[in-house]
Amino acid sequence: MQDLIYQMKVKKGSFVIEGLENVQINIGKITAEEEQVVEGPTPRPEIISLRNWDYRLLDRYNPVYTPTSDMCDYCTYGKCDLTGNKEGACGIDLEGQSARQALMTSVMGAACHSAHGRHLLHYLIKKYGEDHPIDVGPSNLKAPLTETIMGIQPQTIGDFLPVLEYVEEQLTQLLAAANTGQEGSSRDFESKALHAGMLDLLGMEVADIIQISCMGLPKSDEKTPMAEIGMGILDPKKPVVICVGHNIAAPAYILDYMDKNGQFDKIEIAGLCCTAQDMTRYNRNAKIIGSMSKELKYIRSGIPDVLVTDEQCVRADILKEAKKLHIPVIATNEKITYGLPDRSNDSVDEIIDDLVSGKQDGALLLDLEKVGELIPKLAMKIGPIRKAKGLTALPNEEDFKKLVAKCTKCLQCTRDCPQSLPIGDAMAAAAGGDLVPFEILHDKCVGCGRCDFSCPVDIPVLNVIEKAAQRVIREEKGKMRIGRGQIGDPEIREEGRNLVLGTTPGVLAFVGCGNYPDGTKDVYDIVEEMIQRSYIIISSGCAAMDIGMYKDKEGKTLYERYPGRFIKGNLLNTGSCVSNAHIAATTIKVASIFAGRKTKGNWEEIADYVLNRIGAVGIAWGAYSQKAFAIATGCNRLGIPVVAGPHGTKYRRAFIGKPYRKDDWNVLDGRDGSVVNVEPAPEHLMITAETKEELMPLLAKMCFRPSDNSLGRAIKLTHYIELSEKYLKKMPDDWHVYVRSEQDIPVAKREPLMKLLEERGWKIDWEKKKITEGPLRKVDVSFQPTNVPRLCKEVKK
Amino acid sequence: MTKIAQAVKREKMAGKPSEKNVEKPVEKNLEKPSEMPSGKEEVKPAAEKVIDTTRSAVPFDTANIPGPKMARAVMPAVPGKMLARAKRPLLIVGSEVHDTDVLARAVAIGKTGIQIAAVGNAYTSLGDKGLDVHYINMHALASYLCDPNWKGLDGKGGYDLVVFFGITYYYVSQAISALKNFSNIKVISIDKYYHPNADMSFGNLKDDVFIAALDEVIKELPKR
Repeated sequence: MQDLIYQMKVKKGSFVIEGLENVQINIGKITAEEEQVVEGPTPRPEIISLRNWDYRLLDRYNPVYTPTSDMCDYCTYGKCDLTGNKEGACGIDLEGQSARQALMTSVMGAACHSAHGRHLLHYLIKKYGEDHPIDVGPSNLKAPLTETIMGIQPQTIGDFLPVLEYVEEQLTQLLAAANTGQEGSSRDFESKALHAGMLDLLGMEVADIIQISCMGLPKSDEKTPMAEIGMGILDPKKPVVICVGHNIAAPAYILDYMDKNGQFDKIEIAGLCCTAQDMTRYNRNAKIIGSMSKELKYIRSGIPDVLVTDEQCVRADILKEAKKLHIPVIATNEKITYGLPDRSNDSVDEIIDDLVSGKQDGALLLDLEKVGELIPKLAMKIGPIRKAKGLTALPNEEDFKKLVAKCTKCLQCTRDCPQSLPIGDAMAAAAGGDLVPFEILHDKCVGCGRCDFSCPVDIPVLNVIEKAAQRVIREEKGKMRIGRGQIGDPEIREEGRNLVLGTTPGVLAFVGCGNYPDGTKDVYDIVEEMIQRSYIIISSGCAAMDIGMYKDKEGKTLYERYPGRFIKGNLLNTGSCVSNAHIAATTIKVASIFAGRKTKGNWEEIADYVLNRIGAVGIAWGAYSQKAFAIATGCNRLGIPVVAGPHGTKYRRAFIGKPYRKDDWNVLDGRDGSVVNVEPAPEHLMITAETKEELMPLLAKMCFRPSDNSLGRAIKLTHYIELSEKYLKKMPDDWHVYVRSEQDIPVAKREPLMKLLEERGWKIDWEKKKITEGPLRKVDVSFQPTNVPRLCKEVKK
Repeated sequence: MTKIAQAVKREKMAGKPSEKNVEKPVEKNLEKPSEMPSGKEEVKPAAEKVIDTTRSAVPFDTANIPGPKMARAVMPAVPGKMLARAKRPLLIVGSEVHDTDVLARAVAIGKTGIQIAAVGNAYTSLGDKGLDVHYINMHALASYLCDPNWKGLDGKGGYDLVVFFGITYYYVSQAISALKNFSNIKVISIDKYYHPNADMSFGNLKDDVFIAALDEVIKELPKR
């Protein structure tokens, strides 16, 4: 049923009503002056508004719990031993506790992105006013997630105020549910976690749309320029400013100041993690060092002269590490303050004097205009002093030899290393003069520094790795296409049909962090393989950076080899972590623009469409953070499956389908409500893979959808079979499950594959070259797969 | 539910080994609880003639301490005899099986007729060896093993014993935490790392001791 919301046509301001003394009416915000139509049943969904949809997902994709701890220590009843799914003192069992952790992780991630959005919204409204229009490029559907969740079409940045208020209210409710004595059902914890994931997508969309609209970031631009990336790109002889985190507000002031004063040839400025992405979107002179994995490594190199932190993915020990090398840290966001003195009200010169003299190790500076002025001045002053001293944590040649000779090969560093790297072997090789093993380790090392604490003979292991890898670090110079923002409506119109019919084999979204199981190079290898197979590759955040870190034989990165339009065989970078929202939103755009589905307040229908028809898969190969989990969970609620790397099992919960349980794969035909048993597509909603060789065929399989037409299915099947044969040296065991007719079989292999089907007991009419018996179902081009009964035109009894 | 599975379930709920209903260890020194050396104590040289796989029984990843119930460290004869006696055992191997020596042992176990689940990219080394080997995703396998109605990789029935080696340490450790807490299947690690989430495990072993231990396991298996 459609619901009309009529809004007041009054103006903003203060009004005194005549005859009523001491009465003044203040109107702070007019949300819109035109009629807005909510098109679906769930605008501003509350915690349980979409629970039925969640249950549909959970019934098919059962939560699989892999606890890292068998205990619960959340309250003073405990610690409680929940081993074997026992109940704790409060009555919660391990399944419930694991689901509660999924909820809390999801809430934490969503809160992080939404608080980022809230910080930006305050700042941008103050600077540009609430009425600043939204401008994201050539799109009518400007804020797809906001429309689908909130039921409104925002026009100005002020329209996002009620959106964030909604997110914040819901997150508070969800977090409350995690308290001891609240929710006890694992199923409902998961529904709540999915709700938090959805809120996360919404918070990210707000954050990125407002910064795109106000700060001149690229607006659906497929031809953004390239940014330099890598640990070897900066000139260490110049003063170096490194911004760390995710929030562009403070770095923007620094870049503006440097621009105004013509300092880009005098000072090197670059970013670490997603701040870097947004700095390059804001000003083309900014550069990128890399992901969070490079943070400690780069600080210890001694190259940075000033560190500027904002929020998210900033190491907790950054001040301690920087202090050792006399690198001042300027904290610019109230979420990360490190106990630093608040110098917001002091003069720039006073602060600089205190930092250069070493009187203070850093400063909290929340006046961003002051940050803009201070940082370049500070860099110019402290840079030459630091460089003259040659400050670095890395050992010199002589010390290096002594350190590697000290190693006893006790393996303790390997046991503490998240990647279990063979550091002892590399030490032994280095002692013999061979640095290659260390050079290889440099790529695989996530730069956490746990090894330093584990060494019983006090070898600073990370410093040794980095010293040994100086040759490869100097060559670490890549290119990344600057974040483009949303996918524009015209691109969706061009490509939507191919996606839904399957003739473009799929959209693969490479997102997340740098906690890769076997080094950064894997991401390059995977993307190269899949893009050559005409998948659309969309990336964001640290994954987008890492894709640009390697070159082919001709010295070109993937961004230089493949264009950035939303069509098959292209490589897109949407931008920073919050730009992940646009990737999810692209599926909403396809549902709306290509299929004419109503969006406003219509989450369930849109998600149902995405699940059954759009072959999009998220890949978080190096995900480490709660934010990444929230993004994945939000995508899951939108019907987008996600595959994580092996470290993803430490998130402790996955959504895994059981293809052998036939009834799980019943869907309805929207035309008449009849039940159709379909192939398991997509087979899982959230799963991990151990290696890249396993990942690639899995990705191809996860792109199958019940709505594929025969040509599309044949294309997808081709890639699934070829990738499996190439990387696992075998024909997939379940390829036949995806065959509905001979037309679904790749033309080039049709006859031999039909023979294989015959061996499986299928009946083949060889004269007509047709399958007469065997498939689960027939191809029906008009099939309208849905998991939602109310979406059927008539329900069959 | 089989008798073994029932016993294991009771054992899991109680958090201590059941001595009456599960396979009894064959050597006396297996009865004693595994020692927990300090963090600094490490893999000892394998100079002894007798392979002792119960030493250094501390989680290989230092912080991988799941809770009060951790695997019992066992000598190779125990998993060997249990594999030999199990009605429907499954060997799981993963992306660390490709080393020539390790692979040879996986093949030797497979040759005795034990079904192999090749997870990760293990199939690339095992697929052409004439074994009863199936590719499957480890995470999905853990999920299916927790389902008592699952009919196995070949559709012929569930498993009463899972034994594994050659899989990325933290990955399989997480995966089997699902089996530990949400299934009745007995899980034994014969990898070179101590796996606390298994019911039984070798301690952390040097490569040569590990290979020798696998040979000890294989000795107990029936020849075909």
